[in-house]
Amino acid sequence: MNPPNEDMKHIDEFLKTALRREEAPPGFAEGILARVEQQPTVKPKEEHVPWFHLFSRPLVRWAAFATVFASLIAGSIHYRNVRREQAKGEAAKQQLMLALHIAGSKLQLARSKVNGIQTSQPDHERETNRSRSKS
Amino acid sequence: MAERYSATEQGENPGLGFADIVRQHQAMVFSIAQHFLTDRSAAEELAQDVFLQLHATLPTLKSEDHVKFWLRKVTAHRCIDYQRRRRVSQISLEDAPEQVASTHSGDLFLEKRVRQLIATLPEKPRMVVILRYQEDMSPEDIAVALAMPLATVKSHLQRSLAMLREKMTRTIGEVVI
Repeated sequence: MNPPNEDMKHIDEFLKTALRREEAPPGFAEGILARVEQQPTVKPKEEHVPWFHLFSRPLVRWAAFATVFASLIAGSIHYRNVRREQAKGEAAKQQLMLALHIAGSKLQLARSKVNGIQTSQPDHERETNRSRSKS
Repeated sequence: MAERYSATEQGENPGLGFADIVRQHQAMVFSIAQHFLTDRSAAEELAQDVFLQLHATLPTLKSEDHVKFWLRKVTAHRCIDYQRRRRVSQISLEDAPEQVASTHSGDLFLEKRVRQLIATLPEKPRMVVILRYQEDMSPEDIAVALAMPLATVKSHLQRSLAMLREKMTRTIGEVVI
C-alpha cells in the first residue's frame, strides 16, 4: 500500500491527465461565427432615463424654478383677494344685522305706542260723552 | 489589454476580434463542457451558446483576463444548469459492467475510468474538480467563479478526492495507484 501523500500525488496526476484540455471539433469556431452573422443585429438598449433627470439641464431647472415661484406669487395674490372679499362680506353682514336690529327696535317702539293709544281711547270717549251731556 | 472590447471593433470587419477570442478559448470552453457533460454533441452545442452569449456581452468586458474569467464562469454555470435540466441517469460505476485493467491499453483505460469516476460526482463538486484540474484554478478563483464560499470549494475538493481515491482503489486497484 502506498502512503496517503503518494496516493494523493498519483491522483492529482491522474486527474490532470484525464482532464487535460481537448481540441474543439473541427469547424467549431467557423460554426459560431456563422451563427453570429445569422443573428439579427441587436440594437443597443435605449437607456431608461428617470423623469427627474430632466432637471439635470440648467434651462429646465430654471424654468421649473420660475414656474414654481410664479405659481406661489399668483397663489398668494389670489388668496389675499379672497380674504379681502370675505372681509367685505363680513362687514356687509354686520351692517345688515345692525340695520335689522334698528328696524326691529323701531317696530317695537311703534307697536308699543299703538298699544298705548288703544288703551287710552275709552277715557277720551268718556270725556266727550260727559261734555255732551252738560251742554 | 486595458481597453474594453467594443462593438465598433467588429464594425468594418464583423467578427474579427471576436473570432480571435473564439479560436483562443474554444478548447477551454469545449473541454469544460465535455468533461462535465461527457456528451460531445451536447458539449459542442453548449460551448457554442456560451460564445454566442459572449458576443453579446463582449462590449462590457474589460480585458483578456476578464474574458477568460467570464467564459469559465458562464460555462460552469451553464453546464450545471444543463445537467439539472437534463437529469439523465448518470454513469454509475456500480451499474456499469466491471472492466478489467489491461496492460497494453493501460493509460487510455485509466483516463476513461477516471473520467467515468468524475462523472459520478454531484454537479457542483464535479465542476470544482474540473476547474481545479483542467484549468488549474486556485480554490479562491473557483469560489469566485462559482459564487460559493471558499470553505465549500475546499470541502468539495477534499470529499471528491477522497471519493475518487476510494473508488479508484476499489476498481482499479493497487496496480495503478
